[in-house]
Amino acid sequence: MRTVLFVIGIGLALPLGFSCGGNTGGGRVSFRASALGPPTATGTSLEFTNGVGYHVALTRAQLHIGSVYLNQTVPSSGSQATACILPGIYVAELLGSLDVNALSPSPQPFPVAGEANAIQARAGELWLTGGDVNTIDDSTVILSAAGTADRASVSYPFEASITIGRNRFIPSADPAFPSLNPICKQRIVSPIPIDLTPHSNGELRIRLDPRVWFAAVDFSTLPRVSVSPLLYRFTDSAQTSADINLYNGMRTTIGAYQFTWQ
Amino acid sequence: MQLVEVVVQRQQEYTSRMNESPTVYGLSTGPRWRSPAIAVLCLLASFREARGQQSAPEPVTPPEVVQRVDAVYPPEAMAARQEGTVVLLVTVGADGSVTDVSVAQSGGEALDRAAIEALRQWKFTPARRGDQAISSRIRIPVLFALPPAGGVSAPPQTQPAPRPENKPPEPVAAPLAPAQPEIPGGEEAIDVTVRGRPRPVSRGSSDFQLDIGALATVPRQNASELLKLAPGILLTNEGGEAHAEQVFLRGFDAREGQDIEFTAGGVPINEAGNLHGNGYADTHFIIPELVASLRVLEGPFDPRQGNFAVAGSADYELGLAQRGITGKFTAGSYGTTRTLLLWGPSGASDGTFAGADIYKTNGYGQNRDGHRASMMAQYEGSSGAHTFRIGATAYTASFHAAGVLRDDDFQSGRVGFFDTYDPLQGEDTSRYSIWGALDSRYRTLLVRNQVFAIVRPMRLRENFTGFLLDPQQPQQNPHPQRGDLIDLEMMETTVGARGSARASTQFIGLPQEIEVGYFARGDFANGSQRRVEAATGHPYHLDTDLDSRLGNLGLYGDANLRATPWLALRGGLRGDLFTYDVLNKCAVQSVAHPSRTNPPDDQSCLSQQDFGAYREPVQRVSTVGSAFEPRGSLIVGPFWGVNGSVGYGRGVRSIDPIYITQDAKTPFASADSIEAGLDFNRRVLNYEFSARSTVFRTRVDKDLIFSETAGRNILGGATTRTGSANAVRLTGRFLDLAANFTYVKATFDDTGLLIPYIPDKVFRFDGVLFGNLPYVTIRPAGRPFRGSLSSGITYVSPRPLPQNERGNTIFTVDVNATLGWSFLEIGLACTNLFDARYRLGEYNFASDFHSQGFPTLVPVRHFTAGAPREFFFTVALNFGGEK
Repeated sequence: MRTVLFVIGIGLALPLGFSCGGNTGGGRVSFRASALGPPTATGTSLEFTNGVGYHVALTRAQLHIGSVYLNQTVPSSGSQATACILPGIYVAELLGSLDVNALSPSPQPFPVAGEANAIQARAGELWLTGGDVNTIDDSTVILSAAGTADRASVSYPFEASITIGRNRFIPSADPAFPSLNPICKQRIVSPIPIDLTPHSNGELRIRLDPRVWFAAVDFSTLPRVSVSPLLYRFTDSAQTSADINLYNGMRTTIGAYQFTWQ
Repeated sequence: MQLVEVVVQRQQEYTSRMNESPTVYGLSTGPRWRSPAIAVLCLLASFREARGQQSAPEPVTPPEVVQRVDAVYPPEAMAARQEGTVVLLVTVGADGSVTDVSVAQSGGEALDRAAIEALRQWKFTPARRGDQAISSRIRIPVLFALPPAGGVSAPPQTQPAPRPENKPPEPVAAPLAPAQPEIPGGEEAIDVTVRGRPRPVSRGSSDFQLDIGALATVPRQNASELLKLAPGILLTNEGGEAHAEQVFLRGFDAREGQDIEFTAGGVPINEAGNLHGNGYADTHFIIPELVASLRVLEGPFDPRQGNFAVAGSADYELGLAQRGITGKFTAGSYGTTRTLLLWGPSGASDGTFAGADIYKTNGYGQNRDGHRASMMAQYEGSSGAHTFRIGATAYTASFHAAGVLRDDDFQSGRVGFFDTYDPLQGEDTSRYSIWGALDSRYRTLLVRNQVFAIVRPMRLRENFTGFLLDPQQPQQNPHPQRGDLIDLEMMETTVGARGSARASTQFIGLPQEIEVGYFARGDFANGSQRRVEAATGHPYHLDTDLDSRLGNLGLYGDANLRATPWLALRGGLRGDLFTYDVLNKCAVQSVAHPSRTNPPDDQSCLSQQDFGAYREPVQRVSTVGSAFEPRGSLIVGPFWGVNGSVGYGRGVRSIDPIYITQDAKTPFASADSIEAGLDFNRRVLNYEFSARSTVFRTRVDKDLIFSETAGRNILGGATTRTGSANAVRLTGRFLDLAANFTYVKATFDDTGLLIPYIPDKVFRFDGVLFGNLPYVTIRPAGRPFRGSLSSGITYVSPRPLPQNERGNTIFTVDVNATLGWSFLEIGLACTNLFDARYRLGEYNFASDFHSQGFPTLVPVRHFTAGAPREFFFTVALNFGGEK
């Protein structure tokens, strides 16, 4: 019996000699997320002077964010256009939509929690879409803005309802690349430079800066849609330079969006 | 294989070959002997009374053997090479039990004791005078003889007592003279002659030679589950019942067999060149009732082990102990039915059999229905010094598979636990094989040869990632995500042969053996993998299209040397040559500079790789590689029933043809394994106890890591496993209990991180209680009721997953109860008795099944559901057989 116990004991005791534990690296975390406007915003207005010399007083700036992703690496196009989705590089995702009041300096929470791996993220993506990012037709208003722009004693009350649908689709002119300009490219703001590592009990905070959206907008090119009251309206197309600059400003990856981990 | 020949003499002499497995513990199970010859041979105990009567005596029927227990060769006698004949006088009571055993002719104290212990466990139907049961006395000689030199391995002196995994040769007896003098009272003798070929010699404490025996009643779904009798085995399956089991063994994720060499009756099961995984091994064609024994060698320690024996090897030995015709019908939960027919011709050996099995089920959840049919047959015969076997199998199956589910979808209620995302998943598979083997003995030389041929078509459809891998490329026509369903098809033909020559001699008064052998195998594999569009079922992209011609030739030398009776050195050297000739029929799938004409539309296989330069879309590569694999074990003992062993071995695994490049130098992965262990065996009263404990360490230079996007394992870096495996077994007249526990730590060499999915603690219990029902005095036709109660328990600790997570605990209990009488047996089995809702497979990876509003791109938990509680009712009939 002693021999039996000895043999069994050896077998059971030996594992204790091995270092216990160990892990597979990384980690999965759930996280909260919120979005907010610049700190100088009052909640109902934001005043600034843009790069074309207009003093802009925004009274409304609401951005529809469909979803948010963080990537390990900066997507590289090289000499050939890349697809909108590159499997294997995503660190975090936030799959709930939020209409963000970009005039509020207070954090507005996303309706769902995000999922992430505890891996350093180097690029962020904002998906400005109301539904399937690949469906051309989408009437969701991505940016709703209003305010007044003044320059040289001329005032331009304005409003804007920007969508990203067939109005933004650019057919490919090269038969070798029939899908060179997929609509998803218009809706995904990427790569937004970031440097953060998700961890437990943390919060992703996305700060929007409408001042960058309007930085290059020349309001004088807007069509006047009403005399009394005076009103200029963005056409939600590429008809005017103001439209083009606002659309591009909304989709710029530099300065318009800041990702931090709280 | 331990081939046992039983010769029963008197009046009608015949030879039957019987697999020794059910009797290795000295217990035979199942129906009683039904041979009329044996009945004839049984003694007439009341002869004296009958002769004294004036009137014609009432007819007397002799006792009939119901349960036969083989004697166990005493270790000390074996070590001393003691042989002899023990003649016992056995008194059989009116209830059929053995009431007295005395020695009529001694063969020595140790042999006497071993023979008496065995005979005390025999059961009979009593002798009868008319309708009245009477006591009787019979004479039974038992001859103990060591295996003849040159025909068998040297007796395992270092593993003296019978153990579940390594049993010594059965007592070998020569037939006694046919004319036996009748003792007073008219007793006649039963002569039982046993001849046998012993099993491969043990390679140490990791060598588990498993005799199924009574544990066959533990509920098992297929032959793969027999592997659980060896320590450290976890089986999962994400591809449905027609899909090969994913096997985890001692820190290895062997996937569907890529790191374990599987054979059945010596015929290889691993498929070289299978696109789903080189070495894919589907054992579902094996009818579990035709498995007599199983050898699981955990580690590459035997020079006979060939390609894929990195984690070890599993060799199924086929045989049918139950003679006659057995029909079994099972009906169970979820519309499951199974019809089984087995035939073991009376008078033939256990190696002669035929079996057919048809199975269908509706499945326990969405998309789990299927059908399966399997046939196996073998004939074993002998002529003089030659023994031959010819056999064939045929198997076909078609199943749907549920695949994986996202845990977040399940938690939020978007899918149910037993649901599926993609109903197109499943597998259609077939296997057809034939083989022939010839063993010849020439004085001290045993020569064995076997040839085999296998044809293996397979079609597999799996979808791990949903709609993730079909991004819009600029050069493609605009399309949505079409789906990631993989449609893989294989057609493989394998031909091969193996053989060996073993010479035995005596040196310094001890048996010594030398063996040389060869293995040759050619595989001709055609495989392709396509992606299928979910909306239409049309293939839209060709991932891979390979035409492979693979060769593997191996030579080995093996020695079994003894310096002293308690010190043995076993091992040798093996060399393998691997040849590859691979034609990739879709070698170009991307173009650096697309032009107006290339690629045309969205073709998968392109004819231009560099700008402006035309090339054929195909590429042929060829290479050859050789590996030398030293293997050896040092075995010390027994001392007070304890043996010690240390071993080293190198194993190799050929690389997937898809990874072959022209003139690749080392087209294989190699593993170096070391181990040390102790094993203990002791027979106490009528119980046999064995225990063993092993510590091991194995390093692989090119491991295989599962890729959900590829749908199979892909080459990774070097990894190391360190751990301990432990097993105990207790057998007796009415019980057979086995338990094993394994602990292992598997890490990547470069980072020290744990390898995901490898279970670090596995526990398994198999147990059965059996015998004639106690306290039941009713015996219709003099035959008792017999019953069994068996259970299988599995525990797996939470497995490490990617992203530093742990999976769930797996704990399942299966039970089975049987009741039998004469030729009839009924059984009721319940698997997952406590209806545990467990996740058989768990994975962390990214997928997008369009279950949420936006693409899900970050790795999350996925799982495959374990089967819920199921009930199975079985009726079995046996006619005309004995065991």
